[in-house]
Amino acid sequence: MAFTSFCPPALAQKKKAPVEATAPPVREEFKFGDIDLDILEQSNLLDSKLERDGLVLHDETANAYVRHIGQSLVPKGLELERVSWNFRVLRDPQPNAFALPNGSVYITTGLIFLVDNESQLAAIIAHELTHVMRRHTYVQNRSNRKKFLTMNIMTAVGAYAPGGIAGAVIIVVTTVAPFILMATIYGYSQDLEREADLKGVDMMISAEYSPEEMVNVMKLLDQDIEGENIRLFYNDHPSLDERIKYLSSYLGARADRVTHQMELNRERAAYFKIMEPVMRHDLQLSIGAGRFRSAVFLAQRLVDFHPDSENLFWLAEAYRTLGPRSPELTDKEQTNSAKKDAAKKRQKRTAEEEERELLATPAGKDNWQKHQQKAEELYARALNAENPVPVIHRGMGMLYEKLGRANDAATEYEKYIELAPTAIDRERIKRRIEALRRPQI
Amino acid sequence: MNLINSVDAFRLRALIVVLATMLLIGLSSRSSHAQFLHPKITSKETTVRTVVVLPAKVNVVRDSMKGPEGMAAESDDLSSRVEKLVTEVLSKQKQVTTLSPQAAASSQGESQTNYNVADFQTKFDVLLPKIMKKRSDVKKGRFTMGDEVLNLNLEKTTDAIVFIRGEGKKLTGGKTAFTLLVGGVPAYLKLQIGIVDARTGDVLLYTDPLFGGDPTTAVDRLRKALEKGFKKLPAAPAKP
Repeated sequence: MAFTSFCPPALAQKKKAPVEATAPPVREEFKFGDIDLDILEQSNLLDSKLERDGLVLHDETANAYVRHIGQSLVPKGLELERVSWNFRVLRDPQPNAFALPNGSVYITTGLIFLVDNESQLAAIIAHELTHVMRRHTYVQNRSNRKKFLTMNIMTAVGAYAPGGIAGAVIIVVTTVAPFILMATIYGYSQDLEREADLKGVDMMISAEYSPEEMVNVMKLLDQDIEGENIRLFYNDHPSLDERIKYLSSYLGARADRVTHQMELNRERAAYFKIMEPVMRHDLQLSIGAGRFRSAVFLAQRLVDFHPDSENLFWLAEAYRTLGPRSPELTDKEQTNSAKKDAAKKRQKRTAEEEERELLATPAGKDNWQKHQQKAEELYARALNAENPVPVIHRGMGMLYEKLGRANDAATEYEKYIELAPTAIDRERIKRRIEALRRPQI
Repeated sequence: MNLINSVDAFRLRALIVVLATMLLIGLSSRSSHAQFLHPKITSKETTVRTVVVLPAKVNVVRDSMKGPEGMAAESDDLSSRVEKLVTEVLSKQKQVTTLSPQAAASSQGESQTNYNVADFQTKFDVLLPKIMKKRSDVKKGRFTMGDEVLNLNLEKTTDAIVFIRGEGKKLTGGKTAFTLLVGGVPAYLKLQIGIVDARTGDVLLYTDPLFGGDPTTAVDRLRKALEKGFKKLPAAPAKP
C-alpha cells in the first residue's frame, strides 16, 4: 500500500526545514563470525515461527503504517550486511517491542494501544532500529558467552577447590559469583539500552519526529496498570525514571524541538483513526488474557476518542469482565512486595478463583455491583450508537446470566444468534441458551 | 595435612554430586509416571474416543560451555515428532481417533482460524503454571478452560483437545564432559500434556513424561515415555 493513502494530515504539516543530521548509528567495524551467523539463522526461524503460530497481526493498514514509520527512520541509502528491514504488529496485549538482528522489528498491539501518537511509536521503533544497526544482539551474545564460560570455569574451580580456608572462600565466591556475573551481563545490557535510547533520539530528529515524545512514551510505559513491573535484583533495561532523566537531559542540550501541543493533538487524532481496529483487537486480547484493568483504561481512551460507536461495547465488556476487581491498584498494591505477592498468587489461582475470593469481601461485592451496573448502562448506550454490532446482545446475555436473570440472558443470546447466524461462537451460545431454557428441577 | 584435607574434601564433594545425581534420576523416573485424571474420566462419565491434537510447542536448547544456544529448527522437528507419536500412542494403546484441527475449522477465514488456535494455545499456557503448581488438583476437577473451547468449532464428534508443551536440553561434547566431572543437569526432555474436554473445557488429564538423553534424536525413548504418560487413561470402548 502506498504511504499517501494513509498518511495523516498532521504529518504533512509537521515537516519543517531539515534539522541537524547525525550520522547513522552503524557499527561499521562489525565482522560476522560463525556464532553470529547461527544467531541470524535462529532469528529467521523465529520470524517464521511467529507467523506460523498466529501471533502476527494480519491487518495490512496497520502493518503498512508501522512499516512507513520504520522506513522513514532508517537513514536513506543505508545498506547493512545481512539486514532486511521488516516491520510487523504482534497480537499481544502486553506493551512491548523488540528487534531481531536480521532487521525484523515487532511492535505489540498492547504497545500500539498504549502510545498516544505516531511520534511516540516512532520513538520506540527508533530505539529498536538502533539495536539492529549497532549489532547489539551479536555484541551481547558474544559477551554473554564469554561470561558463561567464566561461570562454568568458576563452578569447576569450586568443585575442585582445596580444603581449608582457601577452599571455603572459593566455594563462597563461586556460589555468589554467578549472580555477580549475571548482574554484569544485565549491567552491560543496560549500557546498550541507554545507547539505543540516545541514538534513537538522534534518529527521530533526523526523520523530523518530535524527539521529546521519546520522554513522553517512557512516562506512558511507567504506568503500571496491572502491577506487573517488579524490580528484581537485575533488570535488562535501566529504570524508567532513570531513562526519563537522562533523555530529558540529552534533549535539553538539543534545544528548541518541543512540538506545539495542537500539532501533537492532530497527530494523536490521525493515529487513533488509523489504529482504531488494531486497538479493538487488542482489547479482545487483553480481556482474554485477564488484563481487565488495562482493558478498562484503554477502552475508556477509545471511547474518549470516538464516543458514539462500537467502542462503547468494548468499554462495557471491559467493565463486565473487571467484575469484583478495583479499576485501579491502590498505593499499597503498587509497592514492590505487594506486586511480588500478587505475581505469586497469579501463578496459583485461576481467574474464577480470584473472583470468588474477591466476591467474599465487602469491597469486592461493591465493585462487582458498580461494574455490572456500569456495563449494563454502556451496553444500552452501545445499542443506540451508530451501527450497533450484534455482539452487544451476547455481552448483555453474559451479564444477565451472571446476574441470575436466566430468561433475559436467553433472550439476548437468541437476538445475537439471529443477528449473527454465522458467528464463530454460535455453538457455544446455542448451548448456553439450551441450558438457560432447560426447566429447573 | 593440607593435602589430606583437600583429598577428603574432594571425595566428600564427589560423593555429594553422585548422591544428588541419583536423587535426580530417582525423582525423574517417579515423575515420568505422574498423571492425573479428572473425576469424570475415572468415573467413566466421560470417555475420550476422538481428539484433536493442537500443534505441539517443544523447545530444546543446546547447552555448551559458553551458555545455552537456540535450536529453533530442531525444536520444530521435535515438536512434529512428539505430535505424531502422541497420535500414534493414543491410537494404538487407547484406540483414540485423531482429527485434524484444520479439517474441522468451519467457514472462518485462514487468519481467523490461526488467531483462534493461537489464542487457545495462549490460554493453555496461562493455565499450565497453575496446573503444575498443584497437579493433583486435576483429580478434583479444579482446572478448566471454559466453554470458549467451543469457539474452535471442531467436528461435533470431537471429545477432547490435546495440548502439548515441552522443554529439553542437549549437551555439547564439552558440556557433557564437564557435567560428568563436575555435575549438573544432563540432557533431558520433559513434556507437559493436557487433555481438555472439547465441550466444557475441563482438564481431563494432565501428564508430564520425562526422559534423559539427547531429545533431538530420541524416538523409542520418547514413545516409551509417552506410553507410560498415558498409562492411566482408560482405552476408548469399541463403538456400539
